[in-house]
Amino acid sequence: MNCYMNTISIIIDDQKLETDPGKTILEVCRENGIDILTMCHLKGVLDIGACRLCLVEIEGVNKLLSACTTKVAANMIVRTNTDRIKKYQRITTELFFAERNHVCAVCVANGKCELQDLGYKVGLDHIRYPHLFPQCEVDTSHPWYVMDHNRCIMCTRCVRVCNEVEGAHNWDVMNRGHQVRIISDFNSPWGESETCTSCGKCLHACPTGAIWPKAIVQGQLQKNPGMINELVEKRKMKL
Amino acid sequence: MVKYKKMRKKKLATVWLGGCSGCHMSLLDIDERILDVAQLADIVKSPIVDGKEMPDVDIALVEGSVTSDEHYREILHIRKKAKTLIAFGDCAVMTNVTGMRNYFPLKEVFDAAYVNAVSNDAEGQVPDHPSLLKLNDKVVPLQEVVNVDFVIPGCPPNADTIFYVLFEFLNDRLPDLGKAKKLKYG
Ligand code: SF4
Ligand code: SF4
Ligand code: FES
Repeated sequence: MNCYMNTISIIIDDQKLETDPGKTILEVCRENGIDILTMCHLKGVLDIGACRLCLVEIEGVNKLLSACTTKVAANMIVRTNTDRIKKYQRITTELFFAERNHVCAVCVANGKCELQDLGYKVGLDHIRYPHLFPQCEVDTSHPWYVMDHNRCIMCTRCVRVCNEVEGAHNWDVMNRGHQVRIISDFNSPWGESETCTSCGKCLHACPTGAIWPKAIVQGQLQKNPGMINELVEKRKMKL
Repeated sequence: MVKYKKMRKKKLATVWLGGCSGCHMSLLDIDERILDVAQLADIVKSPIVDGKEMPDVDIALVEGSVTSDEHYREILHIRKKAKTLIAFGDCAVMTNVTGMRNYFPLKEVFDAAYVNAVSNDAEGQVPDHPSLLKLNDKVVPLQEVVNVDFVIPGCPPNADTIFYVLFEFLNDRLPDLGKAKKLKYG
């Protein structure tokens, strides 16, 4: 650490912390063992504040802000676990489940899914909103991988990893609202992509059973999202 | 086995609507703990006992979602008869596999099963005998038809979870799956 850098003090959940300026609230929380729920955040790629799970209360600011995109400032007073925040975490999680089709019993990610784990963490036992039951595509055109839009929660981790880490930019986002979809190239089958290098990083970045390798069956999915940041760090090393 | 102080024995029903009976299989997996349940409750209706009309009960465990006119009538009847109605398993709670037909029009679903399936000969047709139940256009979880008092997600829920919930209710306590770390989907 640079010893000439000024540190600032902030208060998170009544705990006084010294930290470097320029960090996000999420980074400071994680460094200090304060649990913040996240879904679109993936270490190694840029944060975009898409999922709204990491919302925190900041004294003097009347709306909730996402911890992954908000930088700490001197004397900031942050709360991460109020009833209001818990209420929103539960609603957000329920909407993830209600928007597309999550049938865990027959999903490749069953038992190894970040969305399931999130549900357990927020105490979700049922969904209070009507399910939309949209007809979603399952793209099996790639020789090794499958893209199942039924399970996608639009975190865009795949899009960012493909663009920022692999540099291929095969994935992007189309449409808005409940019709929003991840697309390959200009919305063509993944197997016909001219940009995809078949590196498989999107598969590891994806938190759910939306992207997976054909070589596995239900319950055997192994993902390693931490590998993305390892790659990013290794590439920074000067040889 | 635990000794119980004298309490009025409760009445318990378990019902099988639009599900695969896997939840009931898991219920049987509570093994000898069924004796603990039997100390506190009589199972007065269930696919595994010889009960006819559903009588008034304290607790009804209902497996499966509402998929037909028959299920619809049944769940309304159960709601009238049960003090505590428990949605039992993923299908009852959120439709699960039974709800996968909701992505398609009902006619396509029938045709896929009875007309176009490879196992059918050329004369395959959709059965329409008046004694058969009528499938609803969309499969819905119990909560869209009646008020549900408690839910046990899981496909199927673990036997331990089922016993935990039953045992708490039979002892007039309210279970908490989140706190008990017993939440599971799939
Ligand atoms: S992606 Fe996760 S939450 Fe969705 S069906 Fe698969 S296991 Fe369940
Ligand atoms: S496919 Fe996976 S990584 Fe990509 S947006 Fe959907 S859930 Fe996120
Ligand atoms: S993790 Fe911050 S908005 Fe998704």
